[in-house]
Amino acid sequence: MTRYLTRRLGQALLVVGGVVALTFTVMRLVPGDPAVAYAGPKATPEQLAEARRRFGLDDAIPVQLWNYVRDLLSGDWGISLHTRQPVRDDLLLAFPASLELVGAALILGVAVGVPLGLLAARFNRGLPDFSVRLGSMLAVSVPVFWMALALQKVFAGDLGWFPVAGEYDYRLDTTSPLRLYTNITIVDALITGNWPIFTSTLHHLVLPAIVVAAYPAGVIAQMTRAALVEEAAQDHARLARALGFGETRVLTRFALRPALNPVLSLIALVFAYALVNGFLVESIFNWPGLGRYAVDSIRSLDTPAIAGVTLLVAIVYVLANLVVDLLQGVIDPRVRT
Amino acid sequence: MRWHKRLLLLTAAGILAVSASACAGGQVRGSQGTAPNTTAPPGTAQPAGDATFVYAPHLEVVTEWDPASSYSNEIIAMQNIYESLTRYNPQTQKPEPRLATSWESSDDGKKWTFTLRSGVKFHTGNTLDAEAAKAAIERTKKINEGAGYIWDAVDKIEAKDPTTLVFELKYAAPLDLIASSGYAAYIYDVKATDGDLKKWFAEGKDAGTGPYTIDTWEKGKEVELTLKAFDEYWGGWEGPHYKKIAYRVTPELTTAWQLLQRGEVSFVQRLNPQLFEQAGSTQGVKTSQTPSFQNLLLLFNTADGPLKDVRVRQALQKAIDYDGLVAALKGSAVKANGLVPQGLLGHDPQRQPAQDLAGATELLKQAGYGPGGKELTLKLTYAQGDDDQKLLVTLLTSTLKSLNVTLDAKPLAWETQWDQGKSKDAAKRQDVFVMYWWPDYADPFSWFVNIFRSADPVSFNLSYLEDKDIDKAIDALPELTATDRDGAQRSYQDLQRRIIDEQAAAAVPYVQNYQRAFSANADGYVDNPAYPNVVFVHDLKPTA
Repeated sequence: MTRYLTRRLGQALLVVGGVVALTFTVMRLVPGDPAVAYAGPKATPEQLAEARRRFGLDDAIPVQLWNYVRDLLSGDWGISLHTRQPVRDDLLLAFPASLELVGAALILGVAVGVPLGLLAARFNRGLPDFSVRLGSMLAVSVPVFWMALALQKVFAGDLGWFPVAGEYDYRLDTTSPLRLYTNITIVDALITGNWPIFTSTLHHLVLPAIVVAAYPAGVIAQMTRAALVEEAAQDHARLARALGFGETRVLTRFALRPALNPVLSLIALVFAYALVNGFLVESIFNWPGLGRYAVDSIRSLDTPAIAGVTLLVAIVYVLANLVVDLLQGVIDPRVRT
Repeated sequence: MRWHKRLLLLTAAGILAVSASACAGGQVRGSQGTAPNTTAPPGTAQPAGDATFVYAPHLEVVTEWDPASSYSNEIIAMQNIYESLTRYNPQTQKPEPRLATSWESSDDGKKWTFTLRSGVKFHTGNTLDAEAAKAAIERTKKINEGAGYIWDAVDKIEAKDPTTLVFELKYAAPLDLIASSGYAAYIYDVKATDGDLKKWFAEGKDAGTGPYTIDTWEKGKEVELTLKAFDEYWGGWEGPHYKKIAYRVTPELTTAWQLLQRGEVSFVQRLNPQLFEQAGSTQGVKTSQTPSFQNLLLLFNTADGPLKDVRVRQALQKAIDYDGLVAALKGSAVKANGLVPQGLLGHDPQRQPAQDLAGATELLKQAGYGPGGKELTLKLTYAQGDDDQKLLVTLLTSTLKSLNVTLDAKPLAWETQWDQGKSKDAAKRQDVFVMYWWPDYADPFSWFVNIFRSADPVSFNLSYLEDKDIDKAIDALPELTATDRDGAQRSYQDLQRRIIDEQAAAAVPYVQNYQRAFSANADGYVDNPAYPNVVFVHDLKPTA
């Protein structure tokens, strides 16, 4: 297990190193002067020179790369050109809300996707199977921004069942102040028993979480179905049937565990995908996560912030894969070899 | 133990660990804020005593809290927290009293005396007097960030007595207008802290005299900022007033519109023309449409390339379909009357540009181009992601095609576009540079001195115009504005004739329109283009 863990950690570090090199190169390849983005469109030559000096833009490229890597390692991710705050602080502020949304969406995606996959496999080639496959195809292919706008208009705007936007009713900040531990609102509300904020956040989460969950639910349903159909044809499943177990029991008791292995890998992939896919959804639902920060950064050509978001997403992606690799190692010892 | 039971146990242990750590304490979000009215949705009619005005900006509100350096979107909050000596009135085209009740200038426009309002308190509890105002302006001038340059003309400031502030200038300038600037003209208490004032501001504290003071500020949150009433405000709180302001950042226009319809916000900074039209016929919603001080300029390269020939530049001016463009922009812009927008000194309503394809063809023919002549290709650069500019380029490309002129148009990020325009190598420059311009204070001088005065190295003179007579006339404008406004008006009009008609250095297709939508319960809203996107909330009356 230790060798397996070391190998996976080494690979993860290589990927992160590659992303760092790539983001630095892209930052330098993007045309335009970051000093102008910082000092403003009407900056005087003196103000531009001061901005260049401040960000070390006058140094040679190798020196800039060295400084960039050194600063990253020491926790300095640069200064955002549009918020003028340290990028690391900005990301730490925004990331918990994104994690909250993507986490809720993944829970929803798994809770819906796995049973639907099971249902489709149980009635393979039947009407339920056809319906699940069609539904999951739709969920995967409908653009998230369209779905977000449509759900917002119908269920928030027209019917008024859900809030139009926001993470929770902001007025609760003064009537029910929330004590922060994890900075993830719903978690902090739950562990401190702040029910007004907890219920308000849950209510606000419904629509954006459904939109972000659509893609994971679709692919998880498809993958679960395919893996279960394959497992159901294996010898151990046939033996179970011969022993008198019903088809549903065969699938849930004997085929589901090995079938979940590829599903777990998929969850790691869709987690990072959902994080980025959620950017647009966050923007539409005023969700105070990375999405708004990323959109503002791109709009203002804020290269340190864009690099910061890219690096953070890469780290999340690598960590998610690492966790899944380890879980797979625990669930199925054969993968450790 | 079965594998899924192990996982379940692990998750439960995690939750327990987090809950246990919760008992150890933590930061409290929003605890410093004052209690709002929670019985009614924000933005809807509430008892006048505790009404909250909810503003929906589409960008983050605060990037800089220091009033000396602030030069960005935070103006929408700063103008409710801080005040300047004067405030510009676009209807009268003159500054009006704010912290100064009256002012006068010497005949040569080099000495200005302001009488300050008595009984004004800073939010810090200190009293405003001439010494305090002097210290604030001197600090802004010394830091010289953002729009700090507006005080460049000031040589010396003297606090003669607690209510008299005297400015001595290096050269004549309209200081009453300068003092009304939306940026860098704030009067604040430099004695707010014994420590580093910049750091103190950066913590989200303020030292203004305005009707509102900072209540909560949570960067990155949906409701980024709330302001609360300053009880000792000199303007008083008699009658119905909004006692709180909340800035609810809403990047998507459709979301902002839904929030306004549901009464969750009071004011939407921007809507697209389709939503704006819908808002106009929606019950409970009012709309306002006001030309801004921001216009679009097409700057023609007068120094090199095919546009060095004035006839080709004039042909381009005539080729633009001014009316068609404004119609296609569906209310988000109005046709420009020259370089100076309506509401500013120097505006010339007689200027009515119109498309004249026959005239354009004739001028091109004289220059050897046009249908049947040499083929002409022009390089144009414009702002990436700006749909209005893209529309202009599309229409112009199509028109010029029929005149045997090919427009090689490139959308670029501002930094790249500007870098290319400033290039010392003439071959790298464009033939036509498209950009917006707006003044930092309500004075048209900014267009002329920055864009059309000779400059080496090039900064914003992206038509590369070099004309000594025009330079001379531009240099005389500040003194003229300070001493003889009628003379200044004539001079601005004459300069526009020389720059646009004679030199054909630029074309001005349109001025952007502010299209606002707001709750019908907010009575008394007037858009003031001198303070872009600002709602002076104390001036409003919440009604039932």
